[in-house]
Amino acid sequence: MINNKLVYAQKTVQKWGKDMEQKRRVLVIIPAYNEAENIVHVVRHMTETAPQYDYLVINDGSTDNTPDLCRSENFHYLDLSINMGIGGAVQAGYIYARKNNYDIAVQMDGDGQHDIAYLDKLLEPLIRGEADIAIGSRFLEKEGFQSSATRRIGINILSALIWLTTGKHIMDVTSGYRAVNKLFIKIYSEDYPMDYPEPEAIVAAIMHLGRVKEVPVQMRAREGGTSSITFKKSVYYMIKVTLAILICRMGYGIRRGKRTDI
Amino acid sequence: MIPATLRLTLIIALVCYFIVILYFLKQKALNLKYTLLWLVAGAVMGVLVVMPDLLTRIIHIFGIQDNMNGLFIFAIGFMLMILLSLTSIASRQNRKLRTLTQELAILEKRVRDLEKKDME
Repeated sequence: MINNKLVYAQKTVQKWGKDMEQKRRVLVIIPAYNEAENIVHVVRHMTETAPQYDYLVINDGSTDNTPDLCRSENFHYLDLSINMGIGGAVQAGYIYARKNNYDIAVQMDGDGQHDIAYLDKLLEPLIRGEADIAIGSRFLEKEGFQSSATRRIGINILSALIWLTTGKHIMDVTSGYRAVNKLFIKIYSEDYPMDYPEPEAIVAAIMHLGRVKEVPVQMRAREGGTSSITFKKSVYYMIKVTLAILICRMGYGIRRGKRTDI
Repeated sequence: MIPATLRLTLIIALVCYFIVILYFLKQKALNLKYTLLWLVAGAVMGVLVVMPDLLTRIIHIFGIQDNMNGLFIFAIGFMLMILLSLTSIASRQNRKLRTLTQELAILEKRVRDLEKKDME
């Protein structure tokens, strides 16, 4: 009996030693809604060029053959039975990351806009412990696909609004290419904004006293399929996101949320 | 004052209202938790119709002159409250549904992974 316990203790110590040596475990969350045109290419490109990272495709109740492709290609994927929008899909990824004890979670669009080549750069501030959240920003070095002029105006307005409400300057507030550490895997798995979540998630992060850092990346124009934000919806988008930011900011009051390190 | 015939009509309407609600409750087509507000609204309307003096006194506090207007405003007020509570119920259920869907998907992946391991 005692012997058994000793052996077990020894094994545990050995396991800890191994864990310390091991690199931090990274999960790349790839939400996909009707992305049959892009998803195979995106995932294959990732497994070929960055095989050291785990990935998880999240099929957000697609109506095309995205889930069939995931199955036949033997991808790692979650199959949401109802379409929940990008927020619900990404949150499912964070819940999965938390359950499987990942150290870092990265969200990357399934439409080929985000280049896996910048992943190491995005992870750097997290691994060095300089930031809790790293956002891939296309406006820092103004290279690559810069989005249309009207959309940039919208993004600048939201960026200014976040600056007004939180005092933090974030340029590319709508970027869906971001990496978060263990603390924010936990926070986001418990509460992640819905509908158009990116700017609101930044406000929530700042309110939790998270250190948000922007990292310059280049993005591409999407390879196929349609963007989730059409021109018609952009007015609705601006109103909804502006209100969401204000309400999210109000939710935390003057005193900000307490930072609880794990 | 509310004319007597109108009061009679209103009382009959209220009785029908209660019969329908109680019928639905009995059939378990309505959840008592979500029906309480309907019942309270009906009870208040009933009291006001049966005791028009009370109605007159209450509506004068709010500066409403006409009894019928007062009844309408009460009815509209209750409807707004019920609608708001419905929106809140829908939002809460939306959140629960989201959690369920996410957990289901994660479990489904686990089953798939286990089956794969089993085959090897």
